[in-house]
Amino acid sequence: MSSESDHKHNAACLELFAKLSEYLDQELEADTCEKIEQHLKECPPCRNCLQTLKRTVELCKAMGTKPVPSELSRRLRSMLEQLR
Amino acid sequence: MHAKAESNKSRKNRKIDQDTALIEAINEGDHDLFAEIVKRYERPLYNFGLKMCGEQRDAEDIVQETFLNVFRYLKDFRFETKFKNWLYRIATSICIKKRRKSKFAPDHEFSLEDFIPRDPAAEADQLPKWAALPIDTVLSEELYNKLEEAILELPENYRLVLVLRDMEGFSTAETAQILNLTPANVKVRLHRARLFLREKLKGYYHEQ
Repeated sequence: MSSESDHKHNAACLELFAKLSEYLDQELEADTCEKIEQHLKECPPCRNCLQTLKRTVELCKAMGTKPVPSELSRRLRSMLEQLR
Repeated sequence: MHAKAESNKSRKNRKIDQDTALIEAINEGDHDLFAEIVKRYERPLYNFGLKMCGEQRDAEDIVQETFLNVFRYLKDFRFETKFKNWLYRIATSICIKKRRKSKFAPDHEFSLEDFIPRDPAAEADQLPKWAALPIDTVLSEELYNKLEEAILELPENYRLVLVLRDMEGFSTAETAQILNLTPANVKVRLHRARLFLREKLKGYYHEQ
């Protein structure tokens, strides 16, 4: 297990740090995932890093959309009229 | 003979999706159906423009120019990709041109080292509230504005990838195709863009 003081120098942590997004997006091979999951079990800082990155992605996905302004709708309808 | 083989090949490679029938009908002469394309995509394109430019007026121009180009070139669309991917490729190129016309700020590259926590001990603390509480509790209007601001702070080459992947829902392969990048490049940019936003969110909660 990485202690807080040696975490900075742990090659496994750095290797994982580079692959966190691919792990979240399920774009890694099964054996790499297993290796990462084993490391996460033993390393609270990396677990927190993963969770905060995951939440960042969730927040982006949850932002939703704004309605189209009526002025733009008007411009688009008028453009469609001209195309006819 | 060769032309026939090419034509068969191209038919075989056609990407069929929810827009195929509509596009075929338009290309067979039913131009009234252009309105249906606008109905399907005006809102997603407007929001894409807003996230890319941050200005309502610019986003409106991007939507209008994108549709104009679609109507102009739709007859040449060969279904080699999904219509939606082709549409976003056009919108992306208009966004990039628009930015170059207005306030030019050179893109810069992030390196992974930029985001490696300098104080690893801080990462070891309990999971912060913004990552632990249910998302509905966390996503306030203030946070929404903060996120919007942080997305606009990203260099454009990272912002494009983040918006296409995490907001518009395109896959890595589709994003690579839209932006003419390799999938590996998309993954690298996406990871760095997400790490940038994560740092901004950490900073925001730290200030609270």
